[in-house]
Amino acid sequence: MKTKIAVLFILITHCFLLTTLNAQRVTGTVYERNEAGKKSALVGVNVFWSGTSLATITDSVGKFNIARSAKSNVLVLSYIGFKTDSIKVTSESNFEIVMKPQGQLGEVIVRATSTQIDRLNPIQTEIITTKALAKAACCNLSESFETNASVSVSYSDAVTGAKQIQFLGLGGQYVQTNVENVPTIRGLASTFGMNYIPGTWIQSIDVAKGAGSVVNGYESLTGAINVELVKPDAREKMYFNAYVNHLGRGELNLNINRKLSEKWSTGFLTHVSTLQNRIDHNGDGFMDLPLYTQFNGINRWQYKSDKIMVQFGVKALAENRIGGQIGFYPSEHRGTAKFYGFGNQTNRIELFSKTAKLYQDQPYKGLGLILNASQHNTDSYFGFANYDGRQRTLYGNLIYQSIISNTNHQFKTGLSYLLDDYRETYKDSLMTRTESVPGAFFEYTFNHLEKFTLVAGLRADYNNLFGAFVTPRLHARWQLLEHTALRISAGRGQRTPNAFAENYGYLVSGRAVRFWGGRINPEVSWNYGISLTQTFHWFDKHWDVVVDYYRTNFQNQLIADTDHATPLASHLYFYNLKGKSYSNSFQVELNTLLSKRTEVKLAYRLFDVWQTMGQPANDVRLMQRMMIPRERILFNIGYTLPYDKWKADLTFQWNGKARINDPMKSLQATVDRKPMPILYSQSFININGQVSRAFKKFEVYLGGENLANFKQMNPIIHAEDPFSKYFDAGQTWGPVVGRVIYAGIRIKVKD
Amino acid sequence: MKQLTFVFALILGVVFSSTANKPSKDKEVKIKTSAVCEMCKERIEKNLTLSKGITEAVLNLEDKVVTVKYNPKKTDETQIRKVITDTGYDADNLQCSQTAHDKLPSCCQKTAESHAH
Repeated sequence: MKTKIAVLFILITHCFLLTTLNAQRVTGTVYERNEAGKKSALVGVNVFWSGTSLATITDSVGKFNIARSAKSNVLVLSYIGFKTDSIKVTSESNFEIVMKPQGQLGEVIVRATSTQIDRLNPIQTEIITTKALAKAACCNLSESFETNASVSVSYSDAVTGAKQIQFLGLGGQYVQTNVENVPTIRGLASTFGMNYIPGTWIQSIDVAKGAGSVVNGYESLTGAINVELVKPDAREKMYFNAYVNHLGRGELNLNINRKLSEKWSTGFLTHVSTLQNRIDHNGDGFMDLPLYTQFNGINRWQYKSDKIMVQFGVKALAENRIGGQIGFYPSEHRGTAKFYGFGNQTNRIELFSKTAKLYQDQPYKGLGLILNASQHNTDSYFGFANYDGRQRTLYGNLIYQSIISNTNHQFKTGLSYLLDDYRETYKDSLMTRTESVPGAFFEYTFNHLEKFTLVAGLRADYNNLFGAFVTPRLHARWQLLEHTALRISAGRGQRTPNAFAENYGYLVSGRAVRFWGGRINPEVSWNYGISLTQTFHWFDKHWDVVVDYYRTNFQNQLIADTDHATPLASHLYFYNLKGKSYSNSFQVELNTLLSKRTEVKLAYRLFDVWQTMGQPANDVRLMQRMMIPRERILFNIGYTLPYDKWKADLTFQWNGKARINDPMKSLQATVDRKPMPILYSQSFININGQVSRAFKKFEVYLGGENLANFKQMNPIIHAEDPFSKYFDAGQTWGPVVGRVIYAGIRIKVKD
Repeated sequence: MKQLTFVFALILGVVFSSTANKPSKDKEVKIKTSAVCEMCKERIEKNLTLSKGITEAVLNLEDKVVTVKYNPKKTDETQIRKVITDTGYDADNLQCSQTAHDKLPSCCQKTAESHAH
């Protein structure tokens, strides 16, 4: 028993070591088949990576959770009285294994379920695997959350195609979006950044709710999303994907991975996509979708030995977008009042490196260094208004991890540095900002068996513009009962907002943009969360229920106020919060396997989000946050045959009403000397479905989005007069185009 | 709403027709292969499962026998054996395709087997 416990501790330590550098884990459940042919969980099965000391045992419900090993991809399962089994682990991360008694036939069922709750992680974390990503076309990150209950993607406006996620009742800017633990979609990239990570590049996505770990910084106000990309030493040597939809959007993706020697490998991830078809199905004279062309690529090199792991590479992106009235051609009409046009050209280049020193005989110890440099240029025009932005960023994070006397007490500590240099012009005003933020952090983790885990983190940073600040975070997980786990979290977050990049959709309007009051200060919030995970058996099936509640209180927030209009202008005011601003998020999620091949998810979510607004108009009130649907229901059913020969998936979403506004009605209220009207959108249903068939060398898929064909009526206010003061294309709460049918092919070459 | 019901019916139809199609008429055949390891097992099972007319393939590494369930209207034993030989493995007394065999990773080739035993 002692050795088992020791082994377990080594595992837990190792898990935490790897979360820093690579959040990937392998989880699974081990069963035996009893005489009645029913599966029952096997407790205490040894699970280890072949040829390594990295090991764990299954828990009381037969589950295991083990960090991926750099040295081995063969997972061995052994148990007295049973035949020793081994599985080769590639991109899958969840397994169900039925062990056979000795002397009988061995059988391994590899069935990766799509969304996983990370069971041992004290931070409530959902893992979206490639399996879930394959449920939809998942052209890019913004489309990868279709079957996820916690994250939803909103349509920000009817012209630019910018998409923002909603998480815990707040916008995507409050979630720290990392790519392999490097903060990536932030600053000016937050406008279109979700479209910059093609789905075929993604290996898995971790979604952590609540204030995250201090190791990755202070900017995760409501949560952290970490995207792991396909690795250069992946088993898939080549992956090609072609996608086309009936509106004329086409995409090509090609990933190539090469192992150059035992230690070196290199990978290319490439993407090109375009839409050149002018569509106006709703007849408002505006293109329903912007025309665009994107070129995007990564080249990465990896060196792996027993002592050190090094990765470095370069990412480059160029994207061009054109939107506006259907007759708008930039070369002829830009800067004229003949047609209203929108355009954006984004160029981005990024250099990155990660180095990890490994200690073979001390798996709990590690030293890692992440370095990143990027330049982001974005040039846009909205009718006559020009907006240009440039951001240069340097980021470094040095992390050391070890234990205090034994593996019950672990810590991570380190130093970080962030340099953000912004230069933005909107119409005639120039805004520059250079932030230099050195920081230090310490995070202590206490483990008591698997029953209780506590993570206490503290970081101190000094911002040259806004001064020093301290970020405390606390997470705990109790295994209350055998099948019940409780998690709590609390923590502070801070970020400097970028008014234009984060409210880009509102710029497609006749609104007069004003910064009201003093300088815009950093946004500061405290987030508190509680969640309960329960598993149970009912009707011979295994069920998972997750109930969670999160509350975010803002001490300061950038308020984007579009409620007011006068006979002189309709307004977009930016100002600092004075008073209360908070968000309550409540969610229940139920998952089950109806049969070996049918997976079902049902979730309900309630957002209750309020902000104190109206300072510039001297009409200070607590108002519901704009564009956030109060309620949402998600239902997903997926059916899969062995080896994915046939796969069918159906997602049903009901989105409740959100607060919106209309500059014409605001004007009317001002003229009539009445209070500002409170307007709501409609609720609507969105249905997506996909069927795919795998053949030996390739896979084809056919799917549909928005199958119920719901369209928002008049997504553009005053579309007939786009150069007027009351024109507004930023009030989009639902789909602008109707049903979309798509088809595609995936070709994978392994080994 | 009508449209909605239609779409629902359509998709559920697709889901269940693919399930409902296969039972009863299936035949079963057991074929001895030259599989060596888990990777071989996955490769053979996958290639068989994804071939026309085959509903299930389970390989037992202990005796290297793969049990294949198939629809006799769509395929036959000769074709099933050919899938295995084209994957690079022997099927009963049929020799594997040499070119396919040589493309396998060294651990999965027949020489690896002879070293192991």
